[in-house]
Amino acid sequence: MPLDSQRIHEIPDDLLAAIDYCYEQGWTDGLPVIPPVLERVHAMLAFEGRPPEAVIATHPATTLQLTVHAAAVNAVMAGCLPEYFPVLVAAFEAMDKPEFNFHGSTASTGGSAPLVIVSGPVCDDIGMNADVNLFGPGNRANATIGRAVRLILRNVFQMIPGISDKSTQGNPGKYSFCIAERARGNPWPLLCETQDYPPGVSSVTVFAGGGFCNVENHGGNTPEQILGSVADAMANYGCITLGQSVVVLSPEHMAIVAGAGWSREDAQSFLFTHAKRSVEGMQSVGKYRDSEYDRQHGDKADALVEDGYVHRGLSPQDILITMGGGDAGGHSCFIPSWSRGRGSIMQHKPIGVCIDCV
Amino acid sequence: MRLYDPTSSGPERSLSRAPALTGLEGKTIGILENNKLNAMEMLREVAALFETRHNCMVRSIWHKSNASAPAPAGMLAQVVGEVDFLITGLGD
Repeated sequence: MPLDSQRIHEIPDDLLAAIDYCYEQGWTDGLPVIPPVLERVHAMLAFEGRPPEAVIATHPATTLQLTVHAAAVNAVMAGCLPEYFPVLVAAFEAMDKPEFNFHGSTASTGGSAPLVIVSGPVCDDIGMNADVNLFGPGNRANATIGRAVRLILRNVFQMIPGISDKSTQGNPGKYSFCIAERARGNPWPLLCETQDYPPGVSSVTVFAGGGFCNVENHGGNTPEQILGSVADAMANYGCITLGQSVVVLSPEHMAIVAGAGWSREDAQSFLFTHAKRSVEGMQSVGKYRDSEYDRQHGDKADALVEDGYVHRGLSPQDILITMGGGDAGGHSCFIPSWSRGRGSIMQHKPIGVCIDCV
Repeated sequence: MRLYDPTSSGPERSLSRAPALTGLEGKTIGILENNKLNAMEMLREVAALFETRHNCMVRSIWHKSNASAPAPAGMLAQVVGEVDFLITGLGD
């Protein structure tokens, strides 16, 4: 029996009608898709070394499987070029790790979206945007890789809004949430380098992001001032949990932080130390839980944990910090984890290579 | 025009429901709590109704650390061996 995604729909040779047909089948995210004609899918498949029936990811509850072929079909529909395909494949390999829990983070009322951060030379190779309007529209690779992630969640894993995706409010990243890490002018090691992949190997990091919080600071001129405003955003009552965090510093803010000699580890420690709320404060808004406090302050507590406070995360390593965006502007951002705190843990995978494959 | 179908499926699975209980009187209850806020309180309230109305007894309580992840297979096997029926649900 052929794979479902190798089933072929014969329709009239009319492009606009084909777009409408895709709508009628329930295959879209609400926007028009590229009809997945055979030739384009085959071109996509040419960028993956494994056979079309190879399984990339499996839904833990329904056992629905993402094959290379199904990924290629959805990549075409999202508007991806074939050279983007290895990034999409790596993203789902990372999301397939149980700790990422893609079912929970997609199904939850929390409304998170998988943030895809691409790091390394592949960003320039395929023309990704790490610069101006980083999270905004305008770049085909960023937009369509992120969109393909959503189409796969919908079409392959049947995470249908209102049925198996019960997000209370969702977030705009559920259309597309994919960025490149900025290498140009970045004073810190790239993520792919810190993830211990061989030189020249790019990586993708996935994070169940609960939204996007702009951190504006045009007056601060020290690392403490810049990161102090980031820490305040991280500790807001609306989203403080024991969960992980992603912080993308703008080049202006990075110049202040790194220019003062601060390393990534220094910044992580500062943010972890200052992104906190008192127990009394947490109780005042009804969010304090003994079990969470005990987990953070128990025998394995990080040395920076302060008695009487709830910090964001369990340690400084729970805060991923990188650089992105245009040269001008004191605008960084903080992206909280899915509201379930540690229900999803960020993961990464190399792109287009097999390391320690079994 | 020929289009590929973008949906997929998993391997065929053989699933069946557990046989229904013939009655509730005196049965043993398990509770599977999922770590959500108020989940334990809600589940205990539900169990109390069975205790009051049908002389059931709570024998075991299991805890999941992640509300949205499946219960470990080993835990479910333990549940089957220890109690007549299980109460689980959400919270918040």
